[in-house]
Amino acid sequence: MDATQLLKGVLDVAVLAVVEDEDGYGYDVVRRLRAAGLEDVGDASVYGTLRRLYSAGALTSYVVPSEEGPHRKYYGINAQGRATLELQRKVWAEFATTMSDLLGTSTTGEAA
Amino acid sequence: MTTSTVAPEIVAFASEVRAALSDLSREEVDDLTDGLEADLAESLAEDLRRTLPDPVAYAAELRTAAGLPGREPSDAKRGLLVAMQELTERIASVSERNPAIASLVEFADAVRPVWWIVRAWATTWMLAAFFGMERGFGFEGAWWVVMLGLTVLSIQWGRGRWGFPSQRELVTVGNIVVAVVIVPIFGAAWSWGGSGGDYEAGFDAGSDSGYGADSPLSMMGKPVTNVYAYDAAGQPLTGVQLFDQDGRPLDPFDVSSGDGRPCVDRDEVDCTSLFVPAQLVTGKSVYNVFPLAAIASALDEDAQNAPAPGAVATPLPAPFAVVPAVQPAAAPTPQPVAPLNE
Repeated sequence: MDATQLLKGVLDVAVLAVVEDEDGYGYDVVRRLRAAGLEDVGDASVYGTLRRLYSAGALTSYVVPSEEGPHRKYYGINAQGRATLELQRKVWAEFATTMSDLLGTSTTGEAA
Repeated sequence: MTTSTVAPEIVAFASEVRAALSDLSREEVDDLTDGLEADLAESLAEDLRRTLPDPVAYAAELRTAAGLPGREPSDAKRGLLVAMQELTERIASVSERNPAIASLVEFADAVRPVWWIVRAWATTWMLAAFFGMERGFGFEGAWWVVMLGLTVLSIQWGRGRWGFPSQRELVTVGNIVVAVVIVPIFGAAWSWGGSGGDYEAGFDAGSDSGYGADSPLSMMGKPVTNVYAYDAAGQPLTGVQLFDQDGRPLDPFDVSSGDGRPCVDRDEVDCTSLFVPAQLVTGKSVYNVFPLAAIASALDEDAQNAPAPGAVATPLPAPFAVVPAVQPAAAPTPQPVAPLNE
């Protein structure tokens, strides 16, 4: 199965998860996602998702000027974002369990 | 918004991305692309092998991920650009596995600057040719300056400098156009040799006589519109049918070229009299029967020159009433006759 297709549905929650503990700017978030194993994630998809979560009120945003380069736009999670993340964690856990049962596997980490 | 330490490619790329989002509100564009330069610079610095993606496809991905509507009118254009991007990527992946293709791609990459100059030359040539100012592979005077300017522009665009919105699309279309016309242009430039001289001679002659620039019959570059024949005694002849060495009628006018009936005289605008063709017994009208007579002209209902109603053909004055007689040949072999009218 093409993991990028699956990723589309869960990119929101993945992005929320990687900014949960520490604010991050666009490429920083991309790097964290890739480090977590989502290697095929596209930059533009992540930047777009950050912007959408911000518009939806799940993230805060602020600009940090830089002396030697262009400024960076940081995103941080807020209360609404945390609530969304908690909710989606539960949804995902249930969904993953359901799918694992359906596919007859005992581990959730193995890709088919 | 941005400071100057970002690589120009990134600045150009970001401006192209913004251009591709230009149908959105200013605020939305800023929201989507704020900090883009910093992110790109960092991602490129981290992965040196990475090249900048197609800005239009990139903008589309950004837009989709942000949950904004796609750009409707340019879908076809985007499709083409995405297809080209995919082709480029496919070539890259094939060449990674095949050293022969890899070296070919590398070679093609190395000669790209040559193409930048060729396309500048071809564009200048087309522009100059439009004004009839191309000279083989070169141009007349000031066009060299135009070529210099276009060359600088072409090289800068080739290096990804001096970007502007929709530059990629424009340059792609331009490249395709030049690639298609380059062979005909080379052909035309190659075979140009001297044809401009003929053209100009014809033009001068045409403007002198007030009749067509491409006269089929000419002497020393000047059109011959009528021929006067004299017999051996020096008396003028009429109804003389002339043919060339191949039996083609010596017709001074290319009536088929669209100029209509050949004009003898014209005032400032209109033709005032026309040459009259002779009628053969076969019923055919021909212009190789000399000397040709003239008839008053009037415009017919199609605004074309035509013999005026009721007008009669009149002979045109001959240059000489009589000419010296020819010395009777002593020997039975005919002797070459020298031109009489010096």
